[in-house]
Amino acid sequence: MREADTLRPPQLMEVSADIISTVEFNHTGELLATGDKGGRVVIFQREPESKNAPHSQGEYDVYSTFQSHEPEFDYLKSLEIEEKINKIKWLPQQNAAHSLLSTNDKTIKLWKITERDKRPEGYNLKDEEGKLKDLSTVTSLQVPVLKPMDLMVEVSPRRIFANGHTYHINSISVNSDCETYMSADDLRINLWHLAITDRSFNIVDIKPANMEDLTEVITASEFHPHHCNLFVYSSSKGSLRLCDMRAAALCDKHSKLFEEPEDPSNRSFFSEIISSVSDVKFSHSGRYMLTRDYLTVKVWDLNMEARPIETYQVHDYLRSKLCSLYENDCIFDKFECAWNGSDSVIMTGAYNNFFRMFDRNTKRDVTLEASRESSKPRAVLKPRRVCVGGKRRRDDISVDSLDFTKKILHTAWHPAENIIAIAATNNLYIFQDKVPGLVRFPERSGVGFVFCVPVSSSDSPAIC
Amino acid sequence: MEFKLEAHRIVSISLGKIYNSRVQRGGIKLHKNLLVSLVLRSARQVYLSDPCPGLYLAGPAGTPAPPPQQQPGEPAAGPPAGWGEPPPPAARASWPETEPQPERSSVSDAPRVGDEVPVATVTGVGDVFQGGEADATEAAWSRVEGPRQAAAREAEGTAGGWGVFPEVSRAARRPCGCPLGGEDPPGTPAATPRAACCCAPRPAEDEPPAPPAVCPRKRCAAGVGGGPAGCPAPGSTPLKKPRRNLEQPPSGGEDDDAEEMETGNVANLISIFGSSFSGLLRKSPGGGREEEEGEESGPEAAEPGQICCDKPVLRDMNPWSTAIVAF
Repeated sequence: MREADTLRPPQLMEVSADIISTVEFNHTGELLATGDKGGRVVIFQREPESKNAPHSQGEYDVYSTFQSHEPEFDYLKSLEIEEKINKIKWLPQQNAAHSLLSTNDKTIKLWKITERDKRPEGYNLKDEEGKLKDLSTVTSLQVPVLKPMDLMVEVSPRRIFANGHTYHINSISVNSDCETYMSADDLRINLWHLAITDRSFNIVDIKPANMEDLTEVITASEFHPHHCNLFVYSSSKGSLRLCDMRAAALCDKHSKLFEEPEDPSNRSFFSEIISSVSDVKFSHSGRYMLTRDYLTVKVWDLNMEARPIETYQVHDYLRSKLCSLYENDCIFDKFECAWNGSDSVIMTGAYNNFFRMFDRNTKRDVTLEASRESSKPRAVLKPRRVCVGGKRRRDDISVDSLDFTKKILHTAWHPAENIIAIAATNNLYIFQDKVPGLVRFPERSGVGFVFCVPVSSSDSPAIC
Repeated sequence: MEFKLEAHRIVSISLGKIYNSRVQRGGIKLHKNLLVSLVLRSARQVYLSDPCPGLYLAGPAGTPAPPPQQQPGEPAAGPPAGWGEPPPPAARASWPETEPQPERSSVSDAPRVGDEVPVATVTGVGDVFQGGEADATEAAWSRVEGPRQAAAREAEGTAGGWGVFPEVSRAARRPCGCPLGGEDPPGTPAATPRAACCCAPRPAEDEPPAPPAVCPRKRCAAGVGGGPAGCPAPGSTPLKKPRRNLEQPPSGGEDDDAEEMETGNVANLISIFGSSFSGLLRKSPGGGREEEEGEESGPEAAEPGQICCDKPVLRDMNPWSTAIVAF
């Protein structure tokens, strides 16, 4: 393997002027969708590897951009509804077209993405511009034929699922049956059929009769990847509930409750906030769940409800700074988490444009930075370190100089390969590891590298 | 004392957040406001507990010695220098009026068991977690209350002096809501941010001048253990005024700013809540009120859960508490 051929800077796409609010690969990893605060969706497609352009093998280019949601105004409640895309989920591909669901706070839309690469030519009655021909000039008849044209990607909204939610939608999840999906807001979860927009089933309702008794809300939910009757939802209290739709029509009663007792030595004013689960993801195997709360990521085994089987500290040095983080609202940031394709590595974002990866097998972890400085030829991503006092190495960053405005909330991992997409405010970074199937973590000496970052001769285009 | 200052600061920050959320684009975020109200409740617990130096819990940092100065923007890593003094006995004598002795004495030093502990250094640990039963009672009572209630209560407490919490219900009070035994003149070097006497005329508000019950919350909390007993007579008129500036700790230049800002905030919050309040009592959608629970439309328009109290009760409440109730 020659390093020059395999190292590239990360692809850095300036997706839009707006902050990216969600990132999602499709089931094959060929397409990558991002949503932003302005209601726009940008889809990237991976270029097929070809011998002609070896340096651009496997790069992602913009495939389509469209406006998914617009700001709306609810006149009844005098409320503005933000157009920010909260979540995008791809539907499994069933024909030549691709479909995805995108949602803002109130409305879910099903978009169909189709390609057109041929067009009919040779009409008898119309000329090339479409104007009607003078019939007297038509002397012979021809059969229109399809001629290739420049690829055109067309996007159309096929379904609009509106008025299903009173509170803000925080997650959507497509069922493995490919027919239904669920949407969750703070207090309720609805089950929809992909073809039916005028009604949905409410399957979870935790709204108390008296809102004064409200103590927890739903923060995330997901269907099991294989069992179409199972889904999980997380709460602001840090618990997970696994529900079985076969048990009852209304799944308020959970089948399993996953909860870890709180460590009393860590109590503070902010214990409740930092225990709120911001994201939950089933492993690809379906055996485990990954949860993210403010300071940790945890791996849960579906067979054990008492506590997680693994807990990883993402940035425990923030534990003493919770008051400041409460003041500047950072404590409410909702970080996402991701599995790699083989469920052996988990990834999540942090501050200062850092993101963290944990290898479940070796128990090693690494901190990386998504920054433009890493866009150098033959660059490798250098592990970063946050020092909390004590001796400080040369490139360490001290806790106090962390930039809390640079936060990586949204990350995604290619379903099969070591390709990750990192959303840093309004920039999207795509890192690829060209060494097949290998993610290396630094040894104790601190020397090492994680991703070989590919080098290309041309800059990635900036897209607005 | 540091606890109280910290708790006080957190309370005012939380109130500010709740207020700001009302004008946020996209409507009130239920999750965030729930979390803020939980913090408010915790801070209130600490805020109300009797000041007693030397009985602080170890914070996560666990540093044994308090750092010399408390910087703004940093977490409460430790008490400001020279702030470890117990409050002068004179001040303490009046303080307990706001907290019933029988119940509170045993919980004087302790945030309730298992309750949130402010991040602060410790100078002595030992008996902090005592106060078991009273704690448990209070804790049980407090847990029953919903976040809105808690938020309301915090708001009452900080708004100024007449915030009678159920656990203080047994304290004798003047009709105006001032604690007995004379109030502290503003200059009293009270170590604790004492809720100001509420005898002064209400700040200018364009709001329903209802002479409310001091503890309207209790009507909602009827039946909860340790709750509604001891509401002052409904006819009493606890007037409000902005909290006075708190006494400054010896070290706290920054604290000065913080306290002044808080006072100003509270006054603003009162007037703002008051002025934009009318929509709630109308219970009509045009009011633009964005209570998260009031977002039921269409199918659930008739839901009564939005307002915890009956309308007549609401009308009797003063705008501040009503606003928080509604919120």
